[in-house]
Amino acid sequence: MVFIPPHVPAEFISMYLPAIYAGLIVGFIGSMAIAMRREEIHILILTDLIGLAMIFVVSAVGTDLAEALILPGLVVELAETLAISEILLSREMHKIEADPRRNLTKSTSLFPQPFALDMEIMTTAPNFIALVLIAYGIFLTGFTGGAVAGGGIVLYALSKKARGLPVLVIDGIAGVSGIAWCLWIIGFALFFVAPGLWVLSLFLAACGLLLKVASKVGLIGLLMREDIDKE
Amino acid sequence: MDFGTLGGNLFGTIPLGDIVLYITPLSLFLFAVLLVFTLLIAISKTETQVEATFMKLSNTDVKVGKKEFKQRRFLAVICGIASAGAMLTGDLFNFTLFMALIGILNIGIVSAVKQTTVLNSAYQYGLIAMMCSLPLFGGASIILASTGTLSLAVLSQMSATPMVVFGAVLMLLGILGESGVAPFFASKAEMFRTPGSPFIVIIHLSSLFIIVRAVEILLLVLW
Repeated sequence: MVFIPPHVPAEFISMYLPAIYAGLIVGFIGSMAIAMRREEIHILILTDLIGLAMIFVVSAVGTDLAEALILPGLVVELAETLAISEILLSREMHKIEADPRRNLTKSTSLFPQPFALDMEIMTTAPNFIALVLIAYGIFLTGFTGGAVAGGGIVLYALSKKARGLPVLVIDGIAGVSGIAWCLWIIGFALFFVAPGLWVLSLFLAACGLLLKVASKVGLIGLLMREDIDKE
Repeated sequence: MDFGTLGGNLFGTIPLGDIVLYITPLSLFLFAVLLVFTLLIAISKTETQVEATFMKLSNTDVKVGKKEFKQRRFLAVICGIASAGAMLTGDLFNFTLFMALIGILNIGIVSAVKQTTVLNSAYQYGLIAMMCSLPLFGGASIILASTGTLSLAVLSQMSATPMVVFGAVLMLLGILGESGVAPFFASKAEMFRTPGSPFIVIIHLSSLFIIVRAVEILLLVLW
């Protein structure tokens, strides 16, 4: 009944059962870890591990249809993590409101202790590496290229210690992101309206996605730098 | 099992390629009831809870603010529409997605309340819902891998292999956790103890209806 194309190697087909067993075992280990830990934030992180095991099991199918299932699964998982962490945050806020002296000594930061990165390699090498990464990302285009170029931007932002970026720059990055989104949509629509222009629409979508992902990752880098340079 | 055996006479189908939506008296009734209820909560106002004050003779009103009311009504309407969609869908994976969406929306409806106990139980319920997305999506994907289709119309004509039974059992586990019934109800019961009645009821109603529909789908797949 199940149709498997003849050019699929036998090893790939035999990988299916180990893959779903691995996923289920990872999920089981994650549940055991949740049963052992008592801190709530650790439980939240371990729950995400079970979500990743879910991606395991779904992606083991390995067809086009399964790929269409992975994306919604990933989005659902992300949304649930966000919702639960929001609930955790607002609950802690209400607790602090009820008893304001609880959080006097605690700080909430990505890095709890301020630290300065004074290494020579952080000032000389990154310019070059960032340039190479961005160039390679532009060469790749698409989602992967965006991630590579964004990695370059993150590296640059982490290594340069200029504090307080002007608002114009952040607005500009957001604007580029919006234009990239439009490019992607136009490319996508053109693909359906005029299939003859598929090369143009493919490049529109790929370049839009490149700018989009690169600017997103770049923003993360900017936010992180604000946190790191805290003295 | 055939559609007609479970849901009564088949009124008709809406073929969308591989996915065939089918309309039976059962699914039509569930769909219509959920839509009517969604309409009701879309136009209704929230209740005010009256609590006895500790060590005093007076009562205190627990009111819901305008902003919180709007957010809760929006999420409740979306939750109603998602449940109604799950009643009519003819695709196994659409059903699991609606199920996961209802799980998130249930957390979202109570996320803006100020009671710490309600938030605590919402947090516990969210953890259970997240953990149960592994058996839910995993079961659906195992059924896909062992039959090659997600369409209920095709799945109902097939006989169940051991792998399909395994997938269906995993899916049942996922549905139980995601809708917060039977073994997992302890965390969900506390979520109702918050003001804003008509919007809170959709949490209960959606999980009730989705269990009925899930039983029908699992019987269709297994028989």
